Amino acid sequence: MKKSLIYILLLVGILLLALTVPACAEGQKVTFWTLPDPEPAAFWTDSAKDFMAVNPGIQVDVRAIAEAPTSEAVLLTAIAGGTAPTAAGGIFNGFAAQLAEAGAIVPLDSLPGWDELIKNRSMKEAIKAWQFPDGHFYILPIYSNPMLFSWRTDVLKELGVDTPRTYSQVSEVAAKFMEKYPDNFLMAYKRLGSTSWYYRWYDFFPLYEAASDGQPFLMGNEITADDKAAIEVFKFFADLSAAGYLLPRDVPDAFPTKFSIWRPCGPWELPRWAESFPEMEYGESFVVAPPPIPTLGSLASIQHPKTFADAKGYVLLAQGSKEDREAAWEFLKWVLSKPENDLKWAEMTGMLPVRDDLSTNTLFKEFFKQHPELIAYAESIPYAIPALMHSRYADIYLAIGEEGFLPIINGEKTPEQAWQDVKDAIGRIFAE
Amino acid sequence: MVKQKLMLGGEVRGWFLTSPYLLYTLVFFILPLVQGIYIAFTNWDLVSTGKEFIGFANFIKAFGSKKVIAAFFATYKFMAIFLAAVMPISLGIALLVNSFPSRFKGLISVAFFLPFLVSSVATSLVVRGVLNYTSPLNHLLRQVLGYVPNWLGDPILAVIVIGLMITWKCSGYYALIFFCGLQTIPKELYEAADIDGASNQKKFWNITIPMLYPAFYTVMIMAVGLMFHIFSEPYMLTDGGPKLSTYTWFLEIYYQSFTNAKVGYGSTVAILNAMTTFITIILVRKLLERWGKAYGWE
Repeated sequence: MKKSLIYILLLVGILLLALTVPACAEGQKVTFWTLPDPEPAAFWTDSAKDFMAVNPGIQVDVRAIAEAPTSEAVLLTAIAGGTAPTAAGGIFNGFAAQLAEAGAIVPLDSLPGWDELIKNRSMKEAIKAWQFPDGHFYILPIYSNPMLFSWRTDVLKELGVDTPRTYSQVSEVAAKFMEKYPDNFLMAYKRLGSTSWYYRWYDFFPLYEAASDGQPFLMGNEITADDKAAIEVFKFFADLSAAGYLLPRDVPDAFPTKFSIWRPCGPWELPRWAESFPEMEYGESFVVAPPPIPTLGSLASIQHPKTFADAKGYVLLAQGSKEDREAAWEFLKWVLSKPENDLKWAEMTGMLPVRDDLSTNTLFKEFFKQHPELIAYAESIPYAIPALMHSRYADIYLAIGEEGFLPIINGEKTPEQAWQDVKDAIGRIFAE
Repeated sequence: MVKQKLMLGGEVRGWFLTSPYLLYTLVFFILPLVQGIYIAFTNWDLVSTGKEFIGFANFIKAFGSKKVIAAFFATYKFMAIFLAAVMPISLGIALLVNSFPSRFKGLISVAFFLPFLVSSVATSLVVRGVLNYTSPLNHLLRQVLGYVPNWLGDPILAVIVIGLMITWKCSGYYALIFFCGLQTIPKELYEAADIDGASNQKKFWNITIPMLYPAFYTVMIMAVGLMFHIFSEPYMLTDGGPKLSTYTWFLEIYYQSFTNAKVGYGSTVAILNAMTTFITIILVRKLLERWGKAYGWE
C-alpha cells in the first residue's frame, strides 16, 4: 500500500514537472499581429528574431493579420471570440476609439517607459495628434502617410505654368489643360464619386485640413470644424465639377498615361508607378505637392499646408494577461527606441515612420537621397493630421460623403446647403 | 412485449443514426439562431463583455432606417432583373447542352458550370475592368454613340450590371438543374406529340415546360433566396451606391456589425432579412404551386 502511494506520488510529480517545464522554457509568449502586407510582416518577424536573441524569456509570435474582408473585422471577431492577440498593428484612430470605448485596449501612457520612448523615437510633436479626448494615448503610431497630390510637371511645363498652390491656380491650370486636351480631365479619380466611408480621406479631408490650418473637425461629440474652410472646400470641388474638369470614374492609370494631370497620391502609389512606368521620373515628369489652399486669406502665404494622414500604429489588447502585455510593450519599446529600426522599416516597406526628425536626422540622409520622391512626404509628417478619433467614425465619414461631398460633385446642392446637411447628419449620429 | 422492445430498439437506433445531423443542426443552426435573436434585443458592440437588454429599440431603429428600406427595395429590384434574365438563359443553356451528342453533354455542362466556381471578387474585378471609362467596350460606345454610360455611377445601370453579373455566375448552375430535369422527361411524350402533328413550339410549351416544373420549383426558390444574400458584388463594385441603389441586406449587416461594431443592431437587421426572405419564399412557393397544380403536379 505504502509502495503504491509512493509510486502514485512519483507519477503525479513527474506529470506536474512535465507540465511546468515547457512553460518555463518558453517564458512569456506574446502574439503580435502585423499588417497583412508581406513587407511589414517581414520587418516585424526580423525584429522579433533579434529581440528574442537578447530576451530569451519572451517569445514573440508574429502573425500577419488576415484581411477577410477587413483587418478591423478580423480583430473584432477575434476579440469577441476570446482569441485576440496581445498586440495588433495597422490600427487607425477611429478604430482605436471604438476599441477604447469598449475597454478592449489599454492606455499606453500608463505603461512604464512611455515618456522615454516618445523622447527616444523623437515623437514629441507628432504624438500630440494621437491624444484621445480622455487625455490618454492608446496607439503607438508606427507610420504616417501624409496625403499629398501628384502633378504632371511635364504637362504643366508644356502649358507654361508652375505647380499650383491655390484654388484659383488649380482652376487656371485645368482650363488650360482641357482647352488643349478636351478629351482628358484635370482629375480622373473613381473615389470622387463613391460612397465608401474612407474615400473622404483622399478628397475632402486633405483639403479641409489645409484650408482650416488643421482646425479639429470634432472634439468628442461636438462639431468644432471650421465652417468657412469646409464650405470653401465644397465650393472648390463644386466649381471644378461644374466646369467638367473632374471625372469621378474608373480610369486605369489615368495619371501615368497623362489622361489626367492631378490626383491624390499616397506614398504607396510611387513604387508601383516606378515599376510599371519607369519612364515617369520623379521631378521630371511629376512631383507630389501639398493640397491646394483657398485663393484668398492668410493661408496663401503658408509654406507647409496641413493635410490628412493615413497613419496607423499598434495597440495592446486588454484581453490577455498583464504579463503578456508587459512583454509585448518591452518588445515594442526595444524595436522603436532604435532609429536604425525605423530606417530599416522605411527601407523595407517604403512607408515613413512617425518621427519629428525624419527630414533632419542624418541617419535617414542616404535613404532620402535614394528616394527623393519621399522627401515631400517626410516634410509633411509634422503637418499631417490622422483620422477622426471617434467610435462612430464610419457613420461620420459616410455623412460627409452622402450629405456633402457627393451631392457637391453631382451638382445637387450648394456648398452652404451641403455643409449644413453634413453638420445636421453628424448631429443626428451624436444624438442616437 | 418483444415487439415493443424491438420497436423501442429501432427508435433508439434511429435517433442514434440521425444524431450527427441533429447535433450539427443544434450547434450550427439552432444555437446561433437563438443567440442571434437574443443579441438583437441587446446593444452588444462585439468587444464589450456586457450586453444591455434594450427591448425593441433596435427594431424600431431598423424600421426607420433609410438603409434598411433601401436594402429591402434593392433586393426586389435585383430579383426582377435576375429572374427575368437567369430563367430564360439557364433554360436556353440546358436545351442547348441537351441537343449535343451524349458524349459531349457532360463536358459542355461543366464548362457552363465553371462561372459558378469563380470567386465573386475576381468576377467583380473583371467587370470593373470591362466597364472602366477607357475600356474597349466604352471606347466603342463612345465612337458609335458619342457617349459612355456611367455603368456603376448611375442608380439604374448599377443595379442592372450587378443583376447581370449574378446571372452570368448562376446561369450554368441552374442550367445543370434544368438539364437534369430534361433528362427525366419521357421520350414517349414527344413521340406521341409528333404523331399528333404538334409543332416544336407546341411541344416546348405543352411538354417541356410543364414537365420541368420540379426543376423550375427548385431553381426559383434558390434564385429568390439568393437575392437576399447578395454581398460581394456590390461590396466590390459600388459599396451600395450610387444613392443606396445597390445597398443590400448583407452590406448593412456587415457594415453595422463589423465596421460600426453594433452587433446587436446588425443581428436585428439579420432577423428582418430572414423574415423577409421567409415571407417572400412562402409567397413564391404559393405562386409556383398554383402554377404546378394547373399542370397536374401536386
